Amino acid sequence: MTQPLLEVQDLHTVFSTKEGTVKAVDGVSFELHSGETLGIVGESGCGKSVTAMSIMRLQRPGRIVGGKVMFKGQDLTRISEYEMREIRGREIAMIFQDPMTSLNPVYRVGWQVSEPTRLHNGWDARKALSSAVNMLGRVGIPSASARARDYPHQFSGGMRQRAMIAMGLTTTPQVLIADEPTTALDVTIQAQILDLLRDVNREFGTATILITHNLGVVAGMCQRLIVMYAGKVVEAGPTADVFANPKHPYTWSLLRSIPRLDAERHEPLKPIEGLPPNLVDLPSGCAFHPRCVFRVERCARDVPALIQVGGTQRAACWVTQAGTELKGV
Amino acid sequence: MLAKYIARRLLASVVVVLGVTLITLLLMDRTRGAYVPGIDFNPSLRPEDIARLRADLGLDRPFYEWYLSWIWGVLHGDFGHSMIDGSTVMSHIVDRLPNTIELTATAILIGMVVAVPVGVIGALRRGSKTDHALTVVSVAGFAVPQFWMGLMLILIFSVTLEQHGLPWLPSSGAYSPFNGGDVLDRLQHLVLPATVLSFFYVSTWSRFIRSSMLEVLSQDYIRTARAKGMSERRVVYLHGLRNALIPLITLIGLELPGLVSGGLVVEVVFGWPGIGRLAFERALQYDYSTVMGVTFFATLLVIAGNLLADLLYGVLDPRIRYG
Repeated sequence: MTQPLLEVQDLHTVFSTKEGTVKAVDGVSFELHSGETLGIVGESGCGKSVTAMSIMRLQRPGRIVGGKVMFKGQDLTRISEYEMREIRGREIAMIFQDPMTSLNPVYRVGWQVSEPTRLHNGWDARKALSSAVNMLGRVGIPSASARARDYPHQFSGGMRQRAMIAMGLTTTPQVLIADEPTTALDVTIQAQILDLLRDVNREFGTATILITHNLGVVAGMCQRLIVMYAGKVVEAGPTADVFANPKHPYTWSLLRSIPRLDAERHEPLKPIEGLPPNLVDLPSGCAFHPRCVFRVERCARDVPALIQVGGTQRAACWVTQAGTELKGV
Repeated sequence: MLAKYIARRLLASVVVVLGVTLITLLLMDRTRGAYVPGIDFNPSLRPEDIARLRADLGLDRPFYEWYLSWIWGVLHGDFGHSMIDGSTVMSHIVDRLPNTIELTATAILIGMVVAVPVGVIGALRRGSKTDHALTVVSVAGFAVPQFWMGLMLILIFSVTLEQHGLPWLPSSGAYSPFNGGDVLDRLQHLVLPATVLSFFYVSTWSRFIRSSMLEVLSQDYIRTARAKGMSERRVVYLHGLRNALIPLITLIGLELPGLVSGGLVVEVVFGWPGIGRLAFERALQYDYSTVMGVTFFATLLVIAGNLLADLLYGVLDPRIRYG
């Protein structure tokens, strides 16, 4: 495979709290290739957003304490703040979960959407605005030139997310990080926004990192996915393979906890028992072992590494690494 | 829409004006006793003289009659004559109001220019030594009475400096009686009272901006702004400050009554010929008509200040619509 566009290597991000150090991102590694859509899946608090924020170096008050983020031959964790600003919004754009609060309420939408090109490309207000209007039209905002004069509160949630996407695209970035872009939206609007992200990926060739807790979204959008649990990547691989044959019990449990329309017979949905672990005080060994139905004695003792399991996937699990198949319990 | 809104607000304020002036008159009327405004106690005055003087001033009538005739006068643009010196109330106000506006406007301006950066720095460096130092100064600003601070400044800048033959600042008045009146002279007189008055504003507002800024900086749109690759300065001042300033507008709107009340102590300490001092002196002498006139204008200022604040809200915050 060709050189990855973005390569996260053994990233560690921690937060200091009164209770202790929270290892929000604990040795995460993955690659993103040009033009692909990569899904990052996991429960709330598993570190997927902090991973994204760490790539952008916006993880404050958290601190990156180890690892590299290689992008175009430079390590983003090492470059100066000034150089990082040139990357943010220009090479790597980001859209967020809640479009209702992610736009500044006191400035017009057009002004905000045109800000990146004014800033990064040095365009004058008129040129930047006309490009912003054009982009708003392309992301599906009707009568964009009139709506660009609106304030965010005059936009619906779906339109605001479209505006956020337009704002990210004006500088034609190479990477778009979408952090739960549809979570706050109605189901029908979710589908529209996902369609839009897919079109963007195809038309602009923008490599996309899609962070979500919704496996259905991943199935429809991503060529590859990584599954995170308690700050670590527990499984990674092509979406189709992971869905067909999960190699980590957590992924396996996640897939069993959602209804599938194409299931041959209707199995009862099985929730994952227990709660995500406290990140200050992780269980010994594999962090998932207290909730795992396949656990063996070793799981509570040693931390499994993320290694090749099966043809295309990697998983951090003693059970599957030993060759055991995950079968219904 | 906007015109209708303003009209409705003004209509509602008529009630406020009536209420405030009525209460003022009642308070003065009920506490006056046998005192005749403008007449010092004089043993040679016979009771019938006093009765005649009171009748001349209209004080023998029940207060509501006096009030109604005062209202009638105001409706015709006539605020009556001072009970002390006989000149028109309007002439007093026209004479004093500009001085007060000069002092307060300067203080508010200094207050804003200083309070905004101080508040922002406090928010950006929360918990640092700088922040703690600014907090101490702000608390001192609330805690130290204005008259005391005024007297201390007079002691330092007017008395001590002069004693040591250094350039000093005048301690009172709005102009020097003999060589005064030019702009420089006015500014010299303005420095001390404006400092005292603005210190209070800086204390209050900087605290307010600090907390408002802290709240704004944790908002999602600030994260968006950072993710767009903006400099921290642009994030803070362009995307943060405008949102943080919105609530401050109310506070400043509410300071407009300080044109009369807040500035009063400072005006008295520094002998500033403003409207606050006028009201203060005339209230002690039961000069009904002057006090009523000043109260009337002060009430108008309060109403105008609040209305102005509400309208400015709309300018700063596009989400606000008037209806």
